[in-house]
This record gives sequence, structure tokens and C-alpha cells, in this order.
Amino acid sequence: MSHEPFETLAAVYAVGALDGDDLAQFEAHLPTCAVCQAALREAQDALARAMLSTPPLAPPAEAREALVRRVGRARGADRRSWLTWAAATAVVAAAAAGFTGTWVAVRYEARLGQMARETAAVKERLARNEASLREQVALDRGAVELLRDPATRVVDLRAQGPAPAASGRVIWSDAGGGYLFVAGLPPAPAGKTYALWTIGGGIPRAAGLFGVDSAGRATQRIAPTSTGTPTRVFAVTVEPEGGVPAPTGPIVLALK
Amino acid sequence: MPTPGGDLVRAMAGGDREAFARFYDRYAGLVFPLVLRIVRDRADAVEVLQDVFWEAWRGAAAYDEARGTAEAWILTRARTRAIDRLRAVRRRGETFVAPIDEASAAATTPPGGDAAARAEDRQLVASALTQLTEAQREVIELAYYAGLTQTEIAERLEQPLGTVKTRIRLALARLREVVTST
Repeated sequence: MSHEPFETLAAVYAVGALDGDDLAQFEAHLPTCAVCQAALREAQDALARAMLSTPPLAPPAEAREALVRRVGRARGADRRSWLTWAAATAVVAAAAAGFTGTWVAVRYEARLGQMARETAAVKERLARNEASLREQVALDRGAVELLRDPATRVVDLRAQGPAPAASGRVIWSDAGGGYLFVAGLPPAPAGKTYALWTIGGGIPRAAGLFGVDSAGRATQRIAPTSTGTPTRVFAVTVEPEGGVPAPTGPIVLALK
Repeated sequence: MPTPGGDLVRAMAGGDREAFARFYDRYAGLVFPLVLRIVRDRADAVEVLQDVFWEAWRGAAAYDEARGTAEAWILTRARTRAIDRLRAVRRRGETFVAPIDEASAAATTPPGGDAAARAEDRQLVASALTQLTEAQREVIELAYYAGLTQTEIAERLEQPLGTVKTRIRLALARLREVVTST
């Protein structure tokens, strides 16, 4: 079973509306699942902060006095802490602006927490972007190096049916391997991925799985083959996620 | 720099009454409008509020900071207790509260009775929730404030259960966006 239904249940649970089998199922799942615990925590936090977006409303002073008496009678009281408590009570009761003050403090605290979370998120995003840029630069540099080599060939791949707007190009040297550049390729269907094959001596060899970016483009490094047979043909097929040892799906790009 | 709410709860767990006083003064103004909005009767709301803070004092040791902020902790408890009260009142049949009709009636009722509470009501509706679509706000109102379960909401809105669940999920996602952007 996919995890997604549980995330929906977490939201419904957070607003207290889960019932029936869903409730039993979710409560059995929750203790074992960090994702759902986090989803629930975030939902409850959002609901709490929605309350923080409204002005406070002080309950009647009698409510506080009754609680004070009750807590004062509670087990485990020692005289000193009782005095401290009474003093604190007197001070707070005298502060007419107490509610507004604590209100501001709560909002301030929530805002600080939020800023810390945002900063962490920005840092993480920057680190991810940097890693992805480094990867891109390494790919580009490798491709440029390969193009300097007179033994490197450039092979154009043409669309074959399922994605007529797609185009591809491979730069390749039998000694150094190569790169595949793809454009105009739609995202692979759900549960599928694109697979690149190098074909030498009539035998296709798996040369990596790849997906395309939002613009339908991809760049893929191809390792040199160790068979000694020169590779002359390249093809891209649609295959199940995880890959297969030999091509099974429709060809989308091939030398032709 | 104020003492973080979590520290107050930990101090309460150690029997610190002063921490409880500070905890109450910090959060009562937040808990009370929520409870009042749900139970709608001021005397009931005061009782629920006292129960909630009493239980917070008694149950402070069970608070786990990793599972949420102190305000989320106290508000989640408050909401649960308020809904319990609301359901008990409905079961006794003393008052039948029809949330949607009530909400629309409140909008047209001239100020009077508990004017402050009503104004508070409207302000709450006019806050973060206004950033939701009408359909999203409706499911949050029915679930969180009126205490209806997903099945009851589906019946009332004459919508498939799956639609109601998805709508709640989207509403919360939107609410999160709203509260994190202000």
C-alpha cells in the first residue's frame, strides 16, 4: 500500500474528524511512522498558529483564582514553593497588561521558531542547489574534454514513435565512453523510466536509467564498455522503474 | 527573551507552581477564545478552560517537546475537551447546535448578549481561515470547531467521503502556507 493515504488520514486526524476503520488503522500506524508523526505535528502547529493570528480573549479572573487554589492544594506542596507561587500570583494579578504582554511573547516565540525553521530550510536548499550545480559542471567539463579528442564521434538519435518531438545526441569514444543529451522528451509514464542502451556486436547493454527535467531535457554520462567491441548504435527505451537486463519497452530514440 | 513554553511545561512537571501561573497567563488568552468558539456558552467555556489547565498541570510530565510546541499541545487538549463538552451537550439534547446555520445567524445578529464573544468569533473567522476557499473553510469549521467526524461531514455536505478527506488535507496544507507566510 502506498503511504499517501496515511498522509490524508493524518490531516483528518489532526482536525479530530477521523472515525471508523480509518481511525483504528491510523492509530495503529502512527506510533511506527515518523512521516505521519511529523505530518500530524505540522498540522497541529498550523492550527495552533491560526489561533495565534487572532487577538487574545482573557477568561474571567475567577477562573484563574479557582485554579490557583486547586493547584495550591495539590499534593507535593512545600511551604517555600507555595510562597513563591503566591508572590508570582500577586505580581501577575496586578499587571493589567499581563495578557497583552504574554500574548506578544507567545507570538514572538512562535515567530522566532518559524524563522529558525526557515533559515534551516534555506540552508538545505542552497546546499542542494550547490551539489546539483557541481554535478552539472562536472558533466559539462567531461563532455568538453571528450569533444577535444579526435576519436570522439557525434551521433544523432531520432524520435521513434511515442515521443515524436524528442531528439537526442550522443558524443562517444570507445575508450572514454560518452554523454547522451536529450531534448523534447516528455516525462516517463508513472512507474516507468527511460533506459539508455549501447549496442555493439548486435548485443544491447544497459547504459543507465534517466529521467527528464521540467523542460524535457536530460544529460547522462555513459561509461565506456569493457567488451572490446566498438559501440556503434545507441537507443533509448521506456522500461519499468529499477531497470531490466535487456530492452523490453518501446524505443523512443534511436540512431536512424 | 521569554521562557520558551516547553520549559514552563517541564518546570510544571517538576511541581513548579510559579511556572504553572506563567503558563496559564501566557496561554489562557489563547485557549479561551478557542473553547468559547466551540462550546458557545460562556459558563461552559470557563469550566472547560479550568479542566484543560488542571489536566495540563497534572499531565505536564507527559508533554514531549519533539511532538509539538507547547501552544499546539495545550490547544490540541483544549479543542478535544471542548468538543467532548459540545458532544455531551448535544447528546443530552439540551441544545441543538447547528454549526453552519449558527455561523450564518451570528453574522446577521446585531450586537448584544455576549457581544465580546461574538466579536471574537467573527475575528477568528476573519483571520487565517479567510485565506482558505469557501469549501476548505467549511470542512475545517465542521471538523475542528463543530466536532463532526468525516462521515458526518460527508453526510451533511452530501459529498463522497473521499472528497471530504482530500478537502481537509488541502485545507490544512493551505492553512500551513498561510500561517508560515505571516
